[in-house]
Amino acid sequence: MSSRTPQYAAARLTQALAEDPRTAELGVRVQLRGDHVYLVGEVASEERRQHLTEVVRELEPELTVHNEVGVVECREPSTAEELD
Amino acid sequence: MIRIAAVGDVHLGEDARGRLRPALEHLPDHADLLLLAGDLTKHGTLAEARVVAEEFAGLPVPVVAVLGNHDHHADVPEQIAALLTDHGIHVLEGESTVLRLDGAAVGVAGVKGFGGGFAGKCGSAFGEPEMKSFVRHTEKVAARLADALHAIDVPVRVALTHYSPVTDTLRGEPLEIYPFLGSYLLAEAIDDAGAALAVHGHAHFGTEHGTTPGGVRVRNVAQPVIRCAYKVYNLHGPDERGDQSASATGGQASPHSTSRA
Repeated sequence: MSSRTPQYAAARLTQALAEDPRTAELGVRVQLRGDHVYLVGEVASEERRQHLTEVVRELEPELTVHNEVGVVECREPSTAEELD
Repeated sequence: MIRIAAVGDVHLGEDARGRLRPALEHLPDHADLLLLAGDLTKHGTLAEARVVAEEFAGLPVPVVAVLGNHDHHADVPEQIAALLTDHGIHVLEGESTVLRLDGAAVGVAGVKGFGGGFAGKCGSAFGEPEMKSFVRHTEKVAARLADALHAIDVPVRVALTHYSPVTDTLRGEPLEIYPFLGSYLLAEAIDDAGAALAVHGHAHFGTEHGTTPGGVRVRNVAQPVIRCAYKVYNLHGPDERGDQSASATGGQASPHSTSRA
């Protein structure tokens, strides 16, 4: 069942990003503002970042997708925390 | 001093193969052991677990892991644990392992943990069977964590979970989903047995630093939180307090796993 109420659309997209095997992302936030959808968070690869846009476009083709998700950094840490 | 490297939620798969390995090349320069706080894979498949195993196999320091909810998604967590174990990774689920590193010893107790919520704002084992099952699962894993911590016979204990024991490290996450991010029962178990450090992942929008009600330091090492390959915590044991010149690099691990059915 489809609904035009923005809250339901945002909820549907959040669920889809979690449950679609292409994405399986529970750590991406979906914000709906008018006809625009904003995706925020971090994923492990550029390919996964692109899958997010793909899944959202399939489900809500009339929305403009702003994919603000980053690819998580993997550099060595420069400092250590002392715990005593 | 024991130098503990930790990271969670690396979510490896075929498309992220080798992503962490370059940063692990100099791991022994920074740390004496590496903790993996669950969600090592994306979908919990054996193919992804193979990528994880290859990423963390053959490191010069011991690697101790718990699985996360993603690692359960394909319903083969036991096979994933066995595969990682075959590659030299200590996978804990209600168990502990003691690592002896150049004279310094540390015991790590690990469970995946589960949700349920936090004191005064949590689910109860009441009503429908599904609800009772949910809450009792958390109670069970928290009890296993307490047992595993108590089984450690060296002074320095570390608790390793995927789900969070406290709300401190969830700051940044929506309040409404806290019950799905952790349980105070994990913190109660940690405080009951005592620990020098508790490490978890799972909360990608959370924050790194927290403390249990009993004063145990908690660190959320979910990779989107720490924004690097791993974080390092230099743990000064009760006998070495203030001695920051000691180095345990290159020590040999002597794991003694204690199964908890």
